[in-house]
Amino acid sequence: MGDPAIRVEGLSKTYGDTRALDSLDLEVAPGEVIGYLGPNGAGKTTTIRLLLGLIRATAGRAEIFGIDCQERPVDAHARVAYVPGEVNLWPSLTGTETLHVLGRVHGTVDVAYRDVLLQRFEFDPGKKVRAYSKGNRQKLILIAGLMTRADLLLLDEPTSGLDPLMERAFRDCVAEARQRGQTVFLSSHILSEVEALCDRIAILRSGRLVEVGTLAEMRHLSALHVEADLDAAVPDLSAVAGVTAVEVEGTRLRCQVTGPMEPLLSALAPAGVRHLVSREPSLEELFLVHYGGTGAP
Amino acid sequence: MVTARRAARPGILWGLVFGGTVAATMTQYSSLFPDAASRARLALSVQGNAGFEALFGKIHAIDTVAGYTAYKTLFTLMVLGAIWGLLLATRVTRGEEDAGRWELLRSGRTTAAGAAAQAAAGLGAGVVCLWLPTATFAMWAGGADKVGVGAGPALYFATAAVAGAAMFMGIGLAAGQLAPTRHDANVIGAGVMAASYLVRMVADSDASLGWLRWASPFGWIEELRPLTGSHPAAFVPVVVLVAASVAVALAVAARRDLGASALAGRDTPPARTFLLSGQAGLTIRLTRATVVVWLLALAGTGLVFGLVTQAAGNAAKGSATLERVIARLGASGAGAVVYLGFVFLMAAGMVAIAVAGQVAALRNEEATGHLDNLLVRRVARWRWLAARLAVGVGLVVLASAAAGLAAWVGAASQHAAVGFGDLLVAGLNVAPPAVFVLGIGCLVFGIRPRAAVAVTYGLVVWSFLVEIVASVVDSGQWLRDTSPLLHIAPAPAADPNWTAAGWLVGLGALAALAGIAAFSRRDLQGA
Repeated sequence: MGDPAIRVEGLSKTYGDTRALDSLDLEVAPGEVIGYLGPNGAGKTTTIRLLLGLIRATAGRAEIFGIDCQERPVDAHARVAYVPGEVNLWPSLTGTETLHVLGRVHGTVDVAYRDVLLQRFEFDPGKKVRAYSKGNRQKLILIAGLMTRADLLLLDEPTSGLDPLMERAFRDCVAEARQRGQTVFLSSHILSEVEALCDRIAILRSGRLVEVGTLAEMRHLSALHVEADLDAAVPDLSAVAGVTAVEVEGTRLRCQVTGPMEPLLSALAPAGVRHLVSREPSLEELFLVHYGGTGAP
Repeated sequence: MVTARRAARPGILWGLVFGGTVAATMTQYSSLFPDAASRARLALSVQGNAGFEALFGKIHAIDTVAGYTAYKTLFTLMVLGAIWGLLLATRVTRGEEDAGRWELLRSGRTTAAGAAAQAAAGLGAGVVCLWLPTATFAMWAGGADKVGVGAGPALYFATAAVAGAAMFMGIGLAAGQLAPTRHDANVIGAGVMAASYLVRMVADSDASLGWLRWASPFGWIEELRPLTGSHPAAFVPVVVLVAASVAVALAVAARRDLGASALAGRDTPPARTFLLSGQAGLTIRLTRATVVVWLLALAGTGLVFGLVTQAAGNAAKGSATLERVIARLGASGAGAVVYLGFVFLMAAGMVAIAVAGQVAALRNEEATGHLDNLLVRRVARWRWLAARLAVGVGLVVLASAAAGLAAWVGAASQHAAVGFGDLLVAGLNVAPPAVFVLGIGCLVFGIRPRAAVAVTYGLVVWSFLVEIVASVVDSGQWLRDTSPLLHIAPAPAADPNWTAAGWLVGLGALAALAGIAAFSRRDLQGA
């Protein structure tokens, strides 16, 4: 298992004039749980469909455990389970029939684990697919993916349509997969989910990778949020290094600080600091910063 | 009145088709059978023929324009009208409900029964729109000197001709309320239709069984005897059936929840996994219903061809047109064999349509995203497409053979002098054009998937049209050569053209291979 679970080099996909994915480089180690974030249309699904060989790369290459995804997709698929966010199953088949045929075409199924999953997701497989609600179809495709215990789980917004209880069951499954040494590639826009589950996070914007790292690394590089109550009026902070997004309300101050706190503390000291809190940004705030949002106050 | 608007336009269009058919038949008669002798010959060849009567009902007064028109058009119009009425009724009720649009309507101030009543009224308007052009044309054509059908009989005939549409609209309306989906409602209606047809067929097979006609909606229309001795009492069961169906529909609509159904849907059948051990088995599972329906349709068509062979062959002896067409297709002779050679071209067209449907089905698997589920697992693209093509080829071969075998059964029952082997070969002879169509469909699917369905059906339609176009523009043979259907010999009237058949199959196979190669290297494309 010397090969990385996923290795992507210069991977690009162009539709006409639209660059859906622009020269993506990414490596995911075996056993890692990586979150793949981005707004709608950023290229998340395009990346996954390229990894699965469903669409052809315009440039670059992609490997799964050292197997070229575009040239030898069937060999690559032996190591992969894929769960889409939009479920399109054959409406005339029942849940049981669907799990049966999908298991057969995958090759191996952990039957005991499948039964655990059926219970955990409280899923009744006896109905025809056309009779299931959206949430139940999502459960079905999720069970079909997880029951294979594949080395790499490619999950594309896998919890859309699930209620909070089932979302929790899903998190348990990912935690189990991590313990078993499975690699998880989780594309999502549910930030709390990614924050809770992922070792590393990659952020995509308009087909380009803008950030990869652990949450701790990203926080370290980002601004701290600072709130302070002063004895006197807030002094002018425009010349203070690293301070941005200043909001003043009488003797109350809110701002963001990048780098050391020392310059801000020195500037505030003459006014008398009564109370000061600082906190690291949430993933949501990090995310919004990358998309030109205003960030949280 | 949304329904009325949606029923009126197709109603008028179909009415024009109905009226045009009636008028053309009336006018044709005097030119096709100008004198008493030719009319007597027609009567001799057709009247009392068990095959024709099983198909078209009892034949009366065929030596008059009125009797000929009734025999030629009434059966076709009543069945066409019934199919149209059923499909329209289920579409404007259960189809709308399946699509979620009735919720909009119902969230207004309309009650469930009110909405169903509006649909019924709209469908009634559709029947009137169907009747008006039919009646107008029948009166106009009937009024001509050579035809001489009075206004009264013409109106009576038009009413009888649309009675099938009215009855099956009622049945569709009731089935739409009872069944869980539009598809199921159509199946119920089609079942009633098939039973009506079969009962009437049995009733017309022997004089002692004639009373059975009163047990079949199609039998009632036959009992109306339009143009050949009116019997208006038969309108009573027609009106009762329509009224009862509407009453059932309204009563059920008032009582059930939106989206629910009186008959339980079979949403929880026991799992049947014996075919589901791989993608090829899954393909068979997904396509088997369509395949079986086409096999039955081709066998039924073949049987009908066979049943009428003897009589039609005799009638065709006098037809210069038929002999000219057959001669151009490279055969000569007369009688039953010529007739079969001609009608097997129609079977070739049907098999080509069936296989175009398979191309549409495989494209649909991709467009709906169902195919993703296989291709993200250990299924190679070429394997999936090859399995799909194998089903297509299997359908072509089985359907062709079924048409030939059933034709033999029918012909043998009428003691027509055609051999078993000849008809089996004549059946298989229609397969090569369909294999060619399948290959071209696969090629387009590989290169331009979104165009595959249109191009494949277009090729089939062109194959039919080219004969007409070519005769109009008089371009010579090259235009006809573009039709795969016109490359086969009219077996059993001529020996199969093995060279042409080989070319069609070979080119089809090459196109299919190129299609598989292209499909393996392209993006999957949604709808």
